[in-house]
Amino acid sequence: MTIRMRIIIAAIIQAAIICVISIFGYLSFNTILSKLRTIEIIDDLNISLLEIRKSEKNYFLYSDVNALKEVVGRGKEIDKVVQSSKKEILKGLGPKTYNVLGTNLSKYLELAQKVISTGKTPPHFGEEFRTLGHELTRLSEVLLKRERTDVNNRIQNSIFMLIISLSAVFLFQLVVWQYFFHFIIKELAIMGNLIQMASQGKLHEVAKQTISPKNELDDAIKALADMARELEKREAVLLQSEKLASLGILISGVAHELGNPLNNISLMAQGYLSLYDILGDGEKKNFMADILTQTDRISRIINNLLDFSRQKKQELIEIEPGNLIEKSITLVSNQLKITNVKLHKYIEPDLRPIYVDAPQIEQVLVNLFINAIQAMPEGGDLTVNVGQEVENGYLIIKVKDTGLGISKEDLLHIFDPFFTTKGTKGTGLGLSVSYGIIRQHHGDIAVESEEGKGTTFTLKIPIYQPKEKEEDAQADRSH
Amino acid sequence: MPKQIVVIDDEKIVCNMVQRILTQEGYEVETFTDSTQALNRIREKEFDLVITDLKMENIDGMDILKEVNQLYPEAKVIMLTAYATLDAAIDAIRERIFDFFPKPVKIEELKKSVKKALGS
Repeated sequence: MTIRMRIIIAAIIQAAIICVISIFGYLSFNTILSKLRTIEIIDDLNISLLEIRKSEKNYFLYSDVNALKEVVGRGKEIDKVVQSSKKEILKGLGPKTYNVLGTNLSKYLELAQKVISTGKTPPHFGEEFRTLGHELTRLSEVLLKRERTDVNNRIQNSIFMLIISLSAVFLFQLVVWQYFFHFIIKELAIMGNLIQMASQGKLHEVAKQTISPKNELDDAIKALADMARELEKREAVLLQSEKLASLGILISGVAHELGNPLNNISLMAQGYLSLYDILGDGEKKNFMADILTQTDRISRIINNLLDFSRQKKQELIEIEPGNLIEKSITLVSNQLKITNVKLHKYIEPDLRPIYVDAPQIEQVLVNLFINAIQAMPEGGDLTVNVGQEVENGYLIIKVKDTGLGISKEDLLHIFDPFFTTKGTKGTGLGLSVSYGIIRQHHGDIAVESEEGKGTTFTLKIPIYQPKEKEEDAQADRSH
Repeated sequence: MPKQIVVIDDEKIVCNMVQRILTQEGYEVETFTDSTQALNRIREKEFDLVITDLKMENIDGMDILKEVNQLYPEAKVIMLTAYATLDAAIDAIRERIFDFFPKPVKIEELKKSVKKALGS
């Protein structure tokens, strides 16, 4: 389900809850309002009944018939009110009590009417009349009290319900947002992770992500993985084109390098022909053996170059750093011969092996060597220092030249793709590709330079930690 | 007395072959694959002809040429090189070179050049 759908559903549920609460509140306030009207009526009724009882009292005190007339007059008014407000009173009292009230009132008024019209008071009139009057006021008071309690309860219930509802809405909000945060943050964390991996050059791992998109963030993750796959493809192309650019530079040196063995073969052949008559059998054999050695030398030069040019899948192998450095130096040895650059190499003994894609690291080193040689058109010293920081687990390769140096502004950009200080001679890819390769190996590449003095590149490549050794070390620690 | 020739090239085969051919022609030939040792020898003994490679480790052919010119103005120098560039040839001519051979070297031409250099 898309995030948009989820948010809409959550909003609908929330709106529904608020609607229910509002309807409930409206109904309950309506009931309270009508109850209050009933209380008003009953209160009026109660006051009128008390007035009647006052007149009744006057009659018994002063035997004044006018007082009884007042009783009847007011009683009729009350009856009217009782009739007209039957609905409200019925709601409050129920039909049974309503009937009792009605019967008692009419009996009471009947008795009074009889005394007024006959002028005589029947036996037990006082007792009966008072009892009826008392019963009437008692009923109305009970009624009033009940209604007031009822309204009180209703108001209290409403307040309680309101608090409960608000808490429910609050809780719902909390749960919904918690859910969204959890859900979105989880997906964002995956994305963040992938972006970080990509920035560390681990495009392959990002490209491995397979996800069937269920929401917008999944779409983004999938796009990220697609992008990584595309970048990986392009990176391979870039790697190869950069290698071919280096190769172009190497070839001029190789052409010269081939000159020596070719000259040797030529000399041997010419010597063989001109000295044929005086050469012994053993010497003739030696001549041919020497020629074979020289052809092997040519094959080796060409194979070295082919090896370097070939595009291979990344393949990590355990390798002695010394061998790797020597092989890279061999590749540029011809460049060194045709320029006035002197090579000085210092390789620490007992270097730990590294676990790398050897051709790729060779490519980086060749690139740094070529850059250094090109930075010294008038000649200079190229120093290669190889050591290790065992405690940090890094092999350190320093490539130092005494060339032109790089300006401070250019230093900021030298690892950027297509940035070059060599004008049309450079592709601007060498260092950017080197940077990518070293980052892929979890290493680091840094540069220091001073204009007119020279440049030093420092490579850090993790020392190989075989898994079994790590496990052994852990086992040792736990004992 | 036979003419004295020294051959300097870090390729052993070149030294051996040139020595053989020129010995055959009646010259006395010494060879060195290490240019430093060769220069030391030149300083203690005068040769009529120096045949040297241009590009070598440590001391290169141009250094040897300059030193020979300074020590023995009568001596001749022939240079061989696999790294034949016009610049290198011009530099060598300026330093009074007798002949300049790009590798691969033709033995007959080298023989002719040696003969010419030694005036025999």
